Amino acid sequence: MSLDIAGRPAPRLSGADGWRRGLTTALHCVLALLGLAVVVQALIVVEARPQDLITGIHGMADIIWRAMPPDFSKLPAAAWPTLQTLDIALFGTMVGIVIAVPLALLAAANMTPSRYAYYAARAIIGFTRAVPDLVWALLFVTAVGLGPFPGGLALGVHSVGMLGRLFAETIEQMDMAPIHALELTGARRIQVFSHGIIPTLLPSLLGISLYRLDENIRSSLVLGFVGAGGIGFQLLTAMNLFQYQEVSLLLIIIFVIVLGAERLSAALRERLA
Amino acid sequence: MLRVCGLSLRYPNGKVALSDFELTVAAGELVVVLGGNGSGKTTLLRCITRTLKPCAGEIWLADTDLCPLEGERLRRARLPLAMISQHASLVRRSTVLTNVAMGALGRHFTLRTALGGLPSAELAASRGHLAEVGLADLAEQRAGTLSGGQAQRVAIARSLAQQPRVLLADEPVASLDPEAAEDIMRLLQRLARSERLAVLCVLHQVELAYTYADRVVGIRDGRIAFDLPCNQVSREAVHRLYIHEAA
Repeated sequence: MSLDIAGRPAPRLSGADGWRRGLTTALHCVLALLGLAVVVQALIVVEARPQDLITGIHGMADIIWRAMPPDFSKLPAAAWPTLQTLDIALFGTMVGIVIAVPLALLAAANMTPSRYAYYAARAIIGFTRAVPDLVWALLFVTAVGLGPFPGGLALGVHSVGMLGRLFAETIEQMDMAPIHALELTGARRIQVFSHGIIPTLLPSLLGISLYRLDENIRSSLVLGFVGAGGIGFQLLTAMNLFQYQEVSLLLIIIFVIVLGAERLSAALRERLA
Repeated sequence: MLRVCGLSLRYPNGKVALSDFELTVAAGELVVVLGGNGSGKTTLLRCITRTLKPCAGEIWLADTDLCPLEGERLRRARLPLAMISQHASLVRRSTVLTNVAMGALGRHFTLRTALGGLPSAELAASRGHLAEVGLADLAEQRAGTLSGGQAQRVAIARSLAQQPRVLLADEPVASLDPEAAEDIMRLLQRLARSERLAVLCVLHQVELAYTYADRVVGIRDGRIAFDLPCNQVSREAVHRLYIHEAA
């Protein structure tokens, strides 16, 4: 006879309980097998060949060897593209914020003036988010030519989607009690907005915007590869010309920019919390 | 000051929330409304503020019937009517003083107030309202840092900034400890007397009603069960309000 932890005879399972427990175990086994199948198919689809990485590692080592030491004499020449990269991200983030704020107010269920406005705003946000910033950059390059401007526009449009969604969710989760209380004092809608909604939401919106700026700095590096200017474009050119020592310098600059932006953004967001 | 005549409200699902409700609150009077859950107490206050639109009846605030009004005319007519609720509902990131001065926004529509500013005169007056509720030294503190009792006092000060003639209070002490609850009720009683406010207060605490109310109104199923001066309300009559709920 089995005993429970107190030494008493454990209650016997009824037929229905035993059947249910067996079914649960079988279900867990099926889920584990399904998880394994997903991992295996991913390895097959990406044609994973770890042995190639081991046999071909000398090629990578050769490039790294030729990239040493970094060519610091090119540092002054890299200053302008670095500034361009930062400004593309800043421009894109600002464009994104300016368009995303009103769009998010329309796309928030608790603020929208009508259902049509809600669905229209949600559709715009969904579309701008679904199209990658790289595709937007290619489109804008064909419209306004090469340079940092199409990069800034691409980040701006893509940021509308990313910021719009996060802003709208923040607005929807806002505590509405202070807003209703202000309405009952007789304050007009614009006053309720400026005195109630803005102070309540501002820290969250600023935090999200800083995080987006951090993301946009990374993205603006990649956008240079499709002709949108900045340090990414310089990196592509240096690689095409086999100037590996310049490449290593540019990679150091990119590392410093990304790390600096991340730390600054995190510190500012912490202060706003 | 506040007169409710024949007020009725039926919800879309057919449930009668208020039926032919009659109530008067005079200036300087503190009237407490008692009743079980779902008896219609909060619905009554929401009808008076016109957050809910009654099916029939009149709500007289001084010489104005609020019932037929809409939009800007309703907003203007409602200005002498202030309300505090169970949760103080303050803008947590703004200072205590700013929160109080926000109560005056309804009287000041300028570019400055539309853009988030507040009139200097109202800020000065708000310090006086804070002193009145005993929180003058917390003026510059963020509202989010206050205790429940302090926050409720700030909400009362905000309603004073509105310069109301009628103050509605929906379970203002429900989330407070007994001592803070007594403080708030004492404050409401004092304001009713000194400011000549008509105070209509929904409560669940029967003892507080007996201690502070001038009149007690009992509600059962959206109808008035009794409306009597405090010293004439029997314990049994109050008990019946809640027995009915249990049944």
